[in-house]
Parts: sequence; structure tokens; C-alpha cells
Amino acid sequence: MTRRRSGPRVRQETPDDKAALVFLGPWLIGAVVLVVGPLLASLYLAFTDYNLLQDPNFVGLDNFSRMLGDERLHHSLAVTFTYVIVGVPAQLVVALALAVALDRGMRGLAFYRSAFYLPSMLGSSVAIAVLWRLIFGQAGLFNGLLGAVGIDTSTSWIADPDTALWAIILLHVWTFGSPMVIFLAGLRQIPREFYEAASTDGASPWRQFRSVTLPLLTPIIFFNLVLAIINAFQSFTQAFVVSGGTGGPSDSTLFYTLYLYQEGFGAFRMGYASALAWLLVVIVGAFTLINFWASKYWVHYDD
Amino acid sequence: MRTTTWSVRAAAAAGTLALTVGLAACGTAEGSGGTELSGGDVDLRVTWWGGDARHERTQEAIDAFEEKHPNIHVTGEFADWTGYWDKLATSTAGGNSPDVIQMDQLYLASYADRGALADLGALPQLTTSGLDDPVLGMGRSGDTLYGMPVSTTAFGLLVNQDVLADLGIELPDTDTWTWDEFDAFARSVSEKSGGRTVGITPWNNEYSLQLAARQAGDELFADGDVAIDPATLEQYFQRALDWTKDGAAQSASQFAEQASASLDQQDFATGKTAMIFSQVTQLTAYAAAAGGANVTIAALPADGADGSGYQYLKPGMYWSVSARSAHPAEAALFVDFMVNDPQAGAILGTERGLPANPEILASIADGLTDDEKKAVDYSDSLAPQLGDAPEIVPNGASETDTLILRYLQDVLFEERTPAEAAEGFIDELRSAVDAAK
Amino acid sequence: MTTDTITTPATTTGPRTPPELRRHRPSVRTRVFRVLRQALMIAVVVVALYPILWMIVSSLRPDGHIFGNPSLVPNTFEVSNYTSGWNALGAPFSTYLLNSALVVAGAIVGNLISCSMAAYGFARLRFRFQRPAFVVMLLMIMIPIHVVIVPQYVIWAQAGLINTVWPLIVPKFLATDGFFVFLMIQFIRGLPKELDEAARIDGAGHGRIFCQILLPLMTPALATTAIFTFIWTWNDFFSQLIYLTDPNLYTVPVALRSFVDAQSQSSYGAMFAMSVVSVLPLVVAFGVGQKYLVRGIATTGGK
Repeated sequence: MTRRRSGPRVRQETPDDKAALVFLGPWLIGAVVLVVGPLLASLYLAFTDYNLLQDPNFVGLDNFSRMLGDERLHHSLAVTFTYVIVGVPAQLVVALALAVALDRGMRGLAFYRSAFYLPSMLGSSVAIAVLWRLIFGQAGLFNGLLGAVGIDTSTSWIADPDTALWAIILLHVWTFGSPMVIFLAGLRQIPREFYEAASTDGASPWRQFRSVTLPLLTPIIFFNLVLAIINAFQSFTQAFVVSGGTGGPSDSTLFYTLYLYQEGFGAFRMGYASALAWLLVVIVGAFTLINFWASKYWVHYDD
Repeated sequence: MRTTTWSVRAAAAAGTLALTVGLAACGTAEGSGGTELSGGDVDLRVTWWGGDARHERTQEAIDAFEEKHPNIHVTGEFADWTGYWDKLATSTAGGNSPDVIQMDQLYLASYADRGALADLGALPQLTTSGLDDPVLGMGRSGDTLYGMPVSTTAFGLLVNQDVLADLGIELPDTDTWTWDEFDAFARSVSEKSGGRTVGITPWNNEYSLQLAARQAGDELFADGDVAIDPATLEQYFQRALDWTKDGAAQSASQFAEQASASLDQQDFATGKTAMIFSQVTQLTAYAAAAGGANVTIAALPADGADGSGYQYLKPGMYWSVSARSAHPAEAALFVDFMVNDPQAGAILGTERGLPANPEILASIADGLTDDEKKAVDYSDSLAPQLGDAPEIVPNGASETDTLILRYLQDVLFEERTPAEAAEGFIDELRSAVDAAK
Repeated sequence: MTTDTITTPATTTGPRTPPELRRHRPSVRTRVFRVLRQALMIAVVVVALYPILWMIVSSLRPDGHIFGNPSLVPNTFEVSNYTSGWNALGAPFSTYLLNSALVVAGAIVGNLISCSMAAYGFARLRFRFQRPAFVVMLLMIMIPIHVVIVPQYVIWAQAGLINTVWPLIVPKFLATDGFFVFLMIQFIRGLPKELDEAARIDGAGHGRIFCQILLPLMTPALATTAIFTFIWTWNDFFSQLIYLTDPNLYTVPVALRSFVDAQSQSSYGAMFAMSVVSVLPLVVAFGVGQKYLVRGIATTGGK
């Protein structure tokens, strides 16, 4: 993030260490005590057989070598990657499209914005799990709609190993409210004058979007993308409530963190779960690094 | 910012721990309290899982206990099933577990063998003589009593008579029926209804697997290890697959859809299945969820296994005392009150299942509902054919139930053959048990 | 400025109207576009509103008539779900609402102060170890909670603060929510640096630049932070479950789960009724807060 400053701006010879200590003081305390400590603890536990109830014993790389032959782990990686690769872009595109539509002088804007955010407000409560079953179950609304257009099926979309993951991806896309709100806030930072200028030049709405909105929104798009990927890799609650914590049927919704949770809390293999967590950090970290690297080529900052 | 200065203090306190964190408090030292009642003021923390009905009744029982023992103050802590185990594991790991803990058979040995639970036999405040020996035996890991059984249940076949009546079908004589007769009957339900209602929801838990194994003269666990013959397990899976394929049971995906749902949403509760293998004490809940349907209990089908003593009563849940409790004597006194005191028995009723203490069960017999009486009568009728109690789920095998469901679904969706599933299940369970040794 | 495709912003004249309304006469294409857009919006509203409406209707149905009924027609008015749900858990439900409100209020104040300060530090200051510090901040977002919860619990237990609200609030004052730090960094970086530099030339220090120049311009980001913190904290089940043990301190999500037990009869009607009650504050908060989402550079005159 410490991008080299470019251009003939005011040069600061002395770094702002003192001011940084003030502004980042609370953060530093939190980071050292509440984050780095537990992070190091979990890193250590990744090399032990910690079972939550007894003192951990050092077991070297056992946990990591176990990963190689752990079929459920490999399966959960496949499930999670599918979710990330499909769910993240789908949700962000929907969120961005609706944010742009809402930003541009719509009747009933406040109502739409609130309505669109509702699904995200419900969280991943038990009610949502019940509801999703009602919609995508065998006798659900979705099959009813299909029946109305002449497709008769008795598939339980939520419980068939081939489709269950897609029902959860849909649930993810449906909670597009958070990125949408962030996009909206970002859109509001774009000076109106730019649009007016473009409009006077006769640019079509699409062209305005391409040449004004998108470039100026890139820091926010970047933020949403980075966070959406990190969050999607950690996705837990939705699969947890919909599958009752099992990741079923047949492990078809076994998200990485759900597996990690089952290992740590269900089977008391917290040492292995810690190792899994660090593998996840490496994977997510790699994705984030790539993201930051690539951002140089498409994200426009005003500095 | 006041909070910041405050948290600096917390930070200083915790900072020394930062590197060794997670290790500092997870030792399982024996509790510091003695086994004598102190007489002074004592605070006890009691924790349980359950629904709101349980919270209300338990709180009422706690109030009654406090009235009897004014120097003991009891705080109840409750959670739902999943949250409960997460919270218990975390607080135990943090050296901060509650004094009295509601326990389940799946987790009893996992906690006990890792030193988290107190030896109840060493606490004279708790009387155990009122319970039948086989039931009490299922509170032991090795020879030590770690869990005081709260309730017992038998396992049987719940039948929704309303559904059968609607279809104009009658249950055959179930006293001595064989598996073939059962299969044929379950199929006939599905055929008669045109598939709208099916005969049976496939079995999918540890209790049913234990009984299926015992019918075959086998057992799931022995000497703290997985002992089941793969052939027995294969047959267990095969039977469920046959039901699914020949229409006696719902489709695999319909089964999966309701298997992860709570009791109220299961096919048996919504009338989409006529029969289910279940703990008979769940009859009340199922009947209520099914809108007050007439649910009865039938014997399990068996191929000449009658009289072999394959049946047993299983403790529905236990009360345990934390090994780190500062007041084990008072904790034991509380457990004793909850299990052996008629006053508590009257308050708690059958909400946790049929009381494990026969005297308490007798004392509340008059107030039982018809549905509850059915469960009691069924348990009584089994008495002559009860066998020895099986070994409880050993340390490391706390995921037995979820494993059964997962492999069963693999079989039903035909991603594994029953033989493959049997082998995989045993491998996975065995390595979990081995790792915990 | 990196948007090379647009012309220099013209000075604003006249009232600000959405660009497309300025066209002399809406073309057929534009009109079709608008109708389509409105139709799409309504479709999205239906999809977004359905669950909350269904929850409300279900909360008015007796237990046993909830499942398998996806209809929105309220044929029963079982108000008793509300009265029994309100009193079902030992304490009246208002206790849990108040507890949640307390935690949420603390979390919002904490996040607003600490995250904005940290973000200013990261975005506008240059200091030693900036890059490692930023990596630590991202690590905070990447590690799954299930493996750090035990070490964190140990810290709070050592401090004697289990069963208080402090473990839920103090971390927010220490900017451990990397999501919001990162969010505000991205917003600050979207603000023109000339503003800072002009103030600096006038002799303003970092404190003044932050408080008087940047904070007012960050209203959308601050509002986003406040709203998200509200909603996420309000719905956060796991940490509230772990840290609060006395039922009198339970919060809404913990209480809601207590209505439902997978193994026995559950009070779904009461659960839905109280779910509806507990979503109301969120809807109100969003309704009130959303107008701040749109204030910002666009309404402060731009640069």
C-alpha cells in the first residue's frame, strides 16, 4: 500500500513516525495484543496435536503432511474455489449494476436502496435456512415456478449434491446489499461536474459509465473485490445454517472454513484446524497479493 | 478515551501471555475445591442446551434448589445444541468451564478421558443407587462415573396412525415382524399414496446403528475402539439404499433436504413419511409438530433376534461436574437434586426424557400425557428383553452421528457402494479414535 | 487525474439534474431503457422483500403451520407468538434488545474513532514499518475466527472479563476490524490530496487536517461503517455466544437461537415473531442512516 509517490509533489523528507504513532496507537495495541498474539498462538498450535482440552504436544509437520492425503480437504478446496470464482463476480456485478442504476436519479431511490439492503440485514439466521428450504426444496417455490412454465421436476435443489452449492451461491448473490452500499458511497464521491461535462459532450449513458464512473470508482471496486474474495474464502455461516452444519449433502457444500470448524470444534482436532487456517491464510494471501499487484494496472488513485 | 486507557491495562496483563497464549490455561488441573460442602456462600454455574421449554423448567428447578440451599447461588447458562458445544469447548479450553455441565453420550468420553470432568463416584453428595445398573454403566468411561444419567429412552418405530388411516392401511402385527415384512409394508404405504407419502425415513444415527449391530450379534465399540464388522455396517447402509430405491423411503435428495433440518421440519413431522426409527421419547415432539397426530410406537423389526437382548435403554443426557470446579461438593448436590429429588422431578417432568431414576418416574406417572405414557409403556414392555449396556462412544468419536449421516448420504446418492461406505466409515472413525488415544 | 477520456469539468450552472433528463427529447431508446430499468428494479424489490414479508406472515401462523407454506397470504393472526416469544426466555425480550443495543453502540463508536484514525495513518502518513503493519492488518481479516477464538478467550479470561461486554466492545476501539480500516483507506485515497496540502501550507497539523478536512468529506464512508457495524454486530452470533454466559447479558442472536433446538420441539412461531422484532431496529437504523451515505464530496462542492 505504500505506493511510491510520483510527480513533483511536496516532498516530505522526515517520515511522520510520531503522528503515525498517535493515529495508529489504538490499532497497534489491538494488533499486538488481540491479533498478533492469537495469530502466533495458532501458528504454534498448527504444529501440535492440540485437542482443546489437553496440553498440546509438538508433532512437527504431521498436520501438514496429513493435508496431502485428506480427501475431504481437497474436496472442500474445490467447493470453495467454485464459490469464489462464481459467487464473487456475480455478486459484485449485481451490486455495481444496481448501485449505478440507483445513483442516477431514480424515483423512489430511498425505498429501493432500503429494500435492496434488506436481505443483507437478515444475516444468516435460522429463518433464512428455513426459507431457502421453502424456496429451493422439492416442494418449493422455485419448482412451482418451473412447473408454471412447463418444466416439471421434483429435484430438491438445496439437497441434491449437484445443485446444493449453486443454491448457496445464489444466497450469496442475493445478499448483494453490502457491496452495493459501498459502491453507492463511492459513486457519491464522483463529482457531478464530470457527468455534466460528459453529457454536454453528448456521451451516452453507457459511455459515461465507461469513461467517468468506472475509472473513478476503481479504488472502491478494488476494495470490494479484495474483501469479497477474502470473505468468500472464509464463507461459513450460509453453508452452516443451510446444511445444518454438515456441509452436506455428500459434502457438496463443505466450505473450507466449515471443514476447519468441524475439525476444530466437532472432532477436537484444533491443531489440525490451526494448520488448515494457515493454509487458508497462504491461499487468501496469495490471491490478495495478486490483486494488489494487478491493481497497479487498473486502479486509479488521486495521489 | 477512557476505554483505551482501560484496555492498556488489559493489554499489559495479556501482553505477557501473547506468545504462550492458548497454552497458559488449557492444562486440566484438578479442581481446587474439596469434596465437603463448605457451608459458606457458593456460586455455581450450570449449563445446558435445549429449547425455550427446557430453559423455563430448568430455571424453575434452580429456584427450588436455591430455596432449599440458600447459601448456594446458581446461574443457569443455556444455548442451542451447536452453540452449546462450541461454547463448552472454548470455555473449557480457557480454563473457565461451568461447574455443572449437561452432557451427551457422544461427547462424554471425549471430555472425561481428557480430564475435563470430575469423578462423580468420589462425591458423596450425589446418590447413584437409585438408578438401574445398566443405565448407570453408560455414565462411565472405563470404570469411573463421569456422567449422571438424567433420562433414558428406548428406541422404536414411530408410526403416524393418522397418515395410515387416511390411506386406509393398517399396521400389521408388529410384535414379531421380520425385516422383509417391514420392507413390504413400507413399500405398500408409498404405493397406496402414489408416492405422496412414503413408508419410512431411513435411519441415520448412532442409536439405530448400535441396535442394528446388536441384532446381528455385533457391536459398534469394544474396549474403547471401533469394533463393528464391515459386513454389519454394509447391511445397515444397504437396507437404507434398498428403501430409497424401491420407493419405501423418500428420494435421496428429499431425504437430504430434511435430514439437516430440525425435528419440526422433518418429513415424519410434516406427514410426508408414515414411519421413522427414533428415540421413543421424541414421540411427544413429533406428534405436536405433526399437528397433534396420533403417533404410536411399534417394535423394531428383527429377524429372529428376539430374546437375544439386543435392546437397551440409552441415557438421553447426563449431568457432569467440571474437573476444575471450585465447588464440586455443591455441584454434586445440585446434580443429586436434579436427578433424585421428587420436587425437581415434578418441575422438570419429562422435558429431558423419561427420568432415569425409576422412583422419580413413578412419582410423576400420574401427570403424564397420553403421548408420554406411550413412551413409558413401550420402555416397560422392553424390560424383559433388555441386554447389557453397550460401550459408550469412545474418546475421539464425538462425530459418530455426523459420520453416519455423511456416509449414508454418499450411499443414497450412489457416490459410494454400501461396502465402500462401510470401509470408509470404519477407517475414518478408527483413525479419529486412535488419534485421541 | 487518470480519466483521460473526459473533458475538463465545466463549472456547474443551474440546478443539478440527472444527465439524461437534459436531453432535448427522450429518444425511444431512452424511454425503453427507463421502462426496462423500472421493471427490473421492481423485480429485484420483489426478490429482496419476499423473505421479510414471509417472515412477518409466518410469525402470525401457529407452530406446525409454518413449514411447507411459502405463501404470503396471512390467513391466521396468531398474535400470541409475539406475546409468548417476548416472555419465553426467562427475561423479557427487551432485555436482549437492550443488551444488543449496548454492544452495538459501543462497537459503532469504537469503529468510527479507531478505524478512521488508523485509516488516516495508513493513507496519508509515511512511517517506518508501514508495509508490515498493513500486512498485519490484512492478516486480521484473513484468519478464520475459529482458530483464534480460543487464544483470544484465554486473554479475556486472564483479564477476568468473560461474561462482560468488554470483549465485544474493546476490540472495536482498537481498530481490529480491518475491513473498515481498509474501507476508509480506500475512501481517503479517493479524496484529492490538494486539500491536505492546501491546509498544510496554512499551517494545519495532522490532527486538524484529519478532523476538519477529511472527516467531513468521509461522511459516506463513516456512515457505511456505522451502518455495517450496526448490522454485523447486531447479527453476530459466535463471539457473543462465547463471551456472554449469564442469560441476563444475552444478546438478540443468542436469544433467538434459544427458541430452536434441533432435537426437541421448538417454538418456531415465537422465533419468527422475535426475529421480526429484532430486524426492526436494523430497518430503522438503515432508513435513518442511509441519507448520510449520499452526503459527501458531491454535496460539499467538489474541488
